[in-house]
Amino acid sequence: MEAAQAIENEKQIVVALAGNPNSGKTTIFNSLTGSHQQVGNWPGVTVEKKEGQLVSEGKVIRVVDLPGTYSLGAYSEDEAVARDYILFEKPDVVINIVDTTNLERNLYLTTQLLEMGANVVIALNMSDELKAKQIDINVAKFSELLGIPAVQTVGTRNQGTKELVLQALQATGNKKPRVVQINYGKEVETELAALEQDILSNRQLTENFASRWLAVKVLEGDQGILKGLAKYSGLDRLLVRRAEAVKRLEGLLGEDIESLIADKRYGFIGGLAKEVVTRRQTTEERFSMSDKIDRIVTNRYLGIPIFLLAMWTMFQFTFKVGDPFIGWIETFFEWFGGVAGAWLESAGMPELLMSLIVDGIIGGVGSVLVFIPNIFLLFFAISILEDSGYMARAAFIMDRLMHTLGLHGKSFIPLLIGFGCNVPAVMASRTLENKRDRLITILITPLMSCTARLPVYILFAGAFFSANQGLIIFSLYLLGLVLAILMGMLFKRFLFKGGTSHFVMELPPYRVPTLKSTFIHMWEKGSSFIRKAGTIIFAVVVLVWVLSNLPVGVEYASQESILGWIGSFVAPIFKPAGFGTWEAAVALVFGILAKEVVVGTLGVIYGAGEAGLTAAIAQAWTPLSAYAFMVMTLLYIPCAAVIGTIKRETNSWGWTGFAAAYTLVLGWLMAVLVYQFGRLVGLG
Amino acid sequence: MTGTFAISSSMQDYLEAILNLSEKDGLARITDIANMLSIAKASVSQTISNLKDLGLVVQERYGPVELTCAGRELAVKVRHRHRTLRKFLVEVLGVNPRIAEKDACLMEHVVSQQTLEKLVEFMEITGKTEGGAGAGISSRPGAVENLIWDEGREAKVLRSVNTRALSELQTGEKGKVLRTTAKGPVHRRILEMGVTPGTEICVKGVAPLGDPIEILVRGYRLSLRKEEAATIFVEVV
Repeated sequence: MEAAQAIENEKQIVVALAGNPNSGKTTIFNSLTGSHQQVGNWPGVTVEKKEGQLVSEGKVIRVVDLPGTYSLGAYSEDEAVARDYILFEKPDVVINIVDTTNLERNLYLTTQLLEMGANVVIALNMSDELKAKQIDINVAKFSELLGIPAVQTVGTRNQGTKELVLQALQATGNKKPRVVQINYGKEVETELAALEQDILSNRQLTENFASRWLAVKVLEGDQGILKGLAKYSGLDRLLVRRAEAVKRLEGLLGEDIESLIADKRYGFIGGLAKEVVTRRQTTEERFSMSDKIDRIVTNRYLGIPIFLLAMWTMFQFTFKVGDPFIGWIETFFEWFGGVAGAWLESAGMPELLMSLIVDGIIGGVGSVLVFIPNIFLLFFAISILEDSGYMARAAFIMDRLMHTLGLHGKSFIPLLIGFGCNVPAVMASRTLENKRDRLITILITPLMSCTARLPVYILFAGAFFSANQGLIIFSLYLLGLVLAILMGMLFKRFLFKGGTSHFVMELPPYRVPTLKSTFIHMWEKGSSFIRKAGTIIFAVVVLVWVLSNLPVGVEYASQESILGWIGSFVAPIFKPAGFGTWEAAVALVFGILAKEVVVGTLGVIYGAGEAGLTAAIAQAWTPLSAYAFMVMTLLYIPCAAVIGTIKRETNSWGWTGFAAAYTLVLGWLMAVLVYQFGRLVGLG
Repeated sequence: MTGTFAISSSMQDYLEAILNLSEKDGLARITDIANMLSIAKASVSQTISNLKDLGLVVQERYGPVELTCAGRELAVKVRHRHRTLRKFLVEVLGVNPRIAEKDACLMEHVVSQQTLEKLVEFMEITGKTEGGAGAGISSRPGAVENLIWDEGREAKVLRSVNTRALSELQTGEKGKVLRTTAKGPVHRRILEMGVTPGTEICVKGVAPLGDPIEILVRGYRLSLRKEEAATIFVEVV
């Protein structure tokens, strides 16, 4: 197995793409690999991993897109993933994509790549925008000063990418790339040399790391590195020396060690930029277009109305445009189920097996695919918002509000989308970079009342509160929102205490998004939803089918089926909430499939059509217990599709289980509270 | 290192103003401080809360600002230094009092620690020290000296002209970064994004709800919350 892999690796050249967010890295990845892409997760974390292939000069090159980062510390998962990949997987070449319109900050990452001893080829990207700004960059000199190849590219127009690949191929031969050293100044260098001596005397370390890079990281006090080193023995002396060095340097130079090192790196970059960049005009022109847009979009008075308009448009686009497609998909699967059923019957298939195929499998696939239109449209919209640069402004505008609720400016969008459908909403939480913010957002998103809950509200509110139907339904939406905010604060306080969240965020210049990257982004999200969340959703649907058909011979979803038993068994739990009947319990259990199924199940159980159902319900519920039931439907366990999506997005069964468990407890508590309080004040 | 906090020159001006106000009126309200320093009330509240964090003042919500023991000592010291310098300029060098007042303001932030100490010493020896307020200091020089001068890190900030926290800057104002005092991941992120000592920063705007702010640094736009901006000290240019 290992031998086979070795051969595989030998003939395949691995190129990793590294770069800042907004550097145009994804666009270059797309134009390099075209449609030959695979999207997955990095092992053990929720960071997306993208891989692709390209053939050049008769060689197959595997291209790995590393997460976009500003640095290679280990404070975020993204950075740790990128750094570990370069350190331990040792790609043949690292192509560093640099946004030349923002040269200095982009080169900060470059200095770290070089220190790590990676075999770097630089793509000086967005060179068209640079030219438009009347700025020239001397590529030959740049390349000479850094001692590595550099190519000018325009990712959006696929310019320079061929040359980039050729340079990368040539560079694969460089086994020992020239390591450019940043001079950290006499005092720091003395300490670094001493630390490096200690490192060099430890064979375990020299085998795994570039000694100078490690010395810098240790001195800098990179927590990830120090933690990573804990598994090696004999490092006490190194750590003691580090502590002494830091004390000496901070006393001597009057600044903390992190500032000292960052300062020198930027000093090196500043010197480099001075040598290679020539401006033909004053710098004031640089941001003019973006400036003008920003003056309106983040304007004190117009900012919020524009933001609300953008959000409304996105919401309408996602759900209104998606509606007819969803209708078609549902119709198609109904029709297909009917046709397949008839055909299987005529072929003499046993009824049970036939039901498995029609209700279980075809129904299951249908229940996965029905989300596709919304997901595609939402990510089409999100992709445009992100690529145009507006997403960062949206977060900028909303952060004040969201921060007081313990969240991040970017949490707003998932929560808003949650009113449409929780599945794309949970997926939209990806735009949050900080893991803690993302988890909290994912956990509270299912409390947002999605459109699938609406049929339940309409049925019950229609039956009991026909005069105040709108008000009652609105109160449920509001309840979900308020509880989401409260739970968010609670989680922040107790589950994620100590974790810091910050809002040091780039506001990238506005750019026109390309149709190609928007479509690729949309396709990636949609297809990965089908593959990852789809399997779980499908499994749950089939499982529920099995449970509602066993033991053999029982009527589908009747009280005698296993599911019926479960319903009868749990029914007493809901007694304090006012709806302790097995019918209600079974409906809730089925509601896990999809919340609107609650209505259908009640229809089946009461053996009644739409009109009859209202009458049947009016018999079994009181207005108070009906309201409690609606509260329960709103809050308890998210539907199977959301559970599948949470699993995919958190990459953890633990968090998925937690999300299901806490919503169940919360739903029950609130339902009981409503019912008991209502009785207390004489509403029951 | 105990007191790892920054006392910027603007903070020193605040302390002095609070001291003067409380001696004059018996108490110092935010409004009075704002009037005295001709600074917006919002900025004053921000700095007062920084001073509160440093344990130099106490303030009940919406109540007057009071100096703590440490705050009073420091304020007295600042005022003493200021007055001694002015006296030196007027009485020893014969500088016009109005010019002396202005120069004293600048000098107390620019002149090196040693020169300033020697100057004060000189004035004390020649009996020209500023009486009254200074008396309390000369009797026990230790505590305050330590607080202000013994920390190399603080000295660097203290010496600079017109130091302010980035959060205090108005839209359109520019500054040069002196140091950043955040801790942990935020600190590193701020540095990585290019906000390192010596970098020029320009405040470009404030979000519609008043927070975060938008700055121009190294040719690109960066946004950060005011609480983060409050950890970045700049020299206004």
